[in-house]
Amino acid sequence: MERGQFNEHISGQLNRNLEALFNQVLEMGGLVERQLDYLLEATTCDDRSIAKKVKQLDKIVNREEMEIDRLCAMVLARQQPRASDLRLIIISIRMAVDLERIGDEAVIASKLSSRMAKQRVQCSSLPGFKGLVEIASCGVENLKRSLNAFSCLDLSEIIDIVDDQERMELVQKHALAEIQEAFEKTAHSPEHLMEMIYAVRACSRITDHVVNLTESIVYLVEGRDIRNMDTVKLSEFLDGVKE
Amino acid sequence: MSEAKMNIALDRSNKVLSLENEKIAIEVKNWNLYYGDKQALSNVNMLVPENRVTAFIGPSGCGKSTLLRCFNRMNDLIDIVSVEGKMALHGDDMYEKQMDVSALRRRVGMVFQKPNPFPKSIYENVCYGLRLQGIKDKALLDETVEWALKSAGLWEEAKDRLDDNALAMSGGQQQRLCIARAIAIKPDVLLLDEPTSALDPISTLAIEELIFELKKDFTILIVTHNMQQAARVSDYTAFMYMGELIEYSSTDNLFTNPKVKRTEDYITGRYG
Repeated sequence: MERGQFNEHISGQLNRNLEALFNQVLEMGGLVERQLDYLLEATTCDDRSIAKKVKQLDKIVNREEMEIDRLCAMVLARQQPRASDLRLIIISIRMAVDLERIGDEAVIASKLSSRMAKQRVQCSSLPGFKGLVEIASCGVENLKRSLNAFSCLDLSEIIDIVDDQERMELVQKHALAEIQEAFEKTAHSPEHLMEMIYAVRACSRITDHVVNLTESIVYLVEGRDIRNMDTVKLSEFLDGVKE
Repeated sequence: MSEAKMNIALDRSNKVLSLENEKIAIEVKNWNLYYGDKQALSNVNMLVPENRVTAFIGPSGCGKSTLLRCFNRMNDLIDIVSVEGKMALHGDDMYEKQMDVSALRRRVGMVFQKPNPFPKSIYENVCYGLRLQGIKDKALLDETVEWALKSAGLWEEAKDRLDDNALAMSGGQQQRLCIARAIAIKPDVLLLDEPTSALDPISTLAIEELIFELKKDFTILIVTHNMQQAARVSDYTAFMYMGELIEYSSTDNLFTNPKVKRTEDYITGRYG
């Protein structure tokens, strides 16, 4: 499947609407990508002002979701898309929901750096910090790969994202165990540790939503719904895509 | 959620239609049709499932109406037509020499693009086929007329004017009357050749609703230019192009994930 085929309809209006939808999803994706970049920077540099930007961007991201919904409803009502056009509408709605949630989780995770900076505590001094950064970095990286895959309709770069997710679950488990251990040792303020738990959980959910984005893109390109597919079938399918 | 409800929810994923799980009404094998030297249908192979609606779509001249007319041998009426291959209705070869074509057409009724009621009363239109079969029993005729008009969703509108001339009805009513006339003789299969193309949107919806109801009792094949209509009313869809059957699958699959690029181009309105 190629991006250009969405511009080959006899109806120029449908071409324009689908192109606008594509661009809108990419624009929203770009904004969320910036939110995650800011989140990572704020967390690693303990910078409160950057953490604020995550929240500021979130308002724009929420409006973008509504615009995508509006565009999808308009195309459905007026042009009754079918086949790959219909799949584009379905996944645009789904991607907009996932992107909006990623934005929300980024806001939650950014509260850690914001609050720690206020109390002059370095995030890096807290248990679970390494895992948190690893999960957030994975989220940023995989979101970029997903958006590239969506832009080029090329699955080759995103098939590893599902494997990454399994790895991230282990990292999260390890980070939460570290935090729990710190609770028992009472070396850190419980309030700070709770903030760390919220941040780790939020970043972990970000990676979950990135997997959802990947699944949506696979559905668009291949017409296959890989959600809840059992591991054996999924790995067979992904091997087929690699070939 | 109760266990029964949960099972229903879990079972939903298995509801995708598949020909493998269907009883087959009509089998078409290596089917070719020629108008003189010109080949109009090329090597068509398909299984038409029983009590389902199968739609034929494709550009003008692709052979969909020609194929539909093969199912009740209407093409026999055109001198230059010749056919090859096998077509069987519930296992009976429809083109074998001994086949009584009139009997075949009693089993395979047809409704055309333009409503064509006879210039007779509503009642006489519906029982026309029965009278041809020699049925004279008034009670049986009355009962069948009522059943056919009810099945065609026309009883409430027609019951007080059964003796009125059918030509005085609206276009949508006339078309439902033609459907009532076709089903009055209780065929196995109903062929609909663009049955709503001459009707307004409301009458079209009434016919579509009727098609949905009728499939409980009949196997329905419909030719339509309106892709939305095919998507709305059919269980299976066949896409034809230049006399060939390009793709044939469940309507859900064909309209969300067609396997052949030419199908995708046609149904999405792309330059093919």
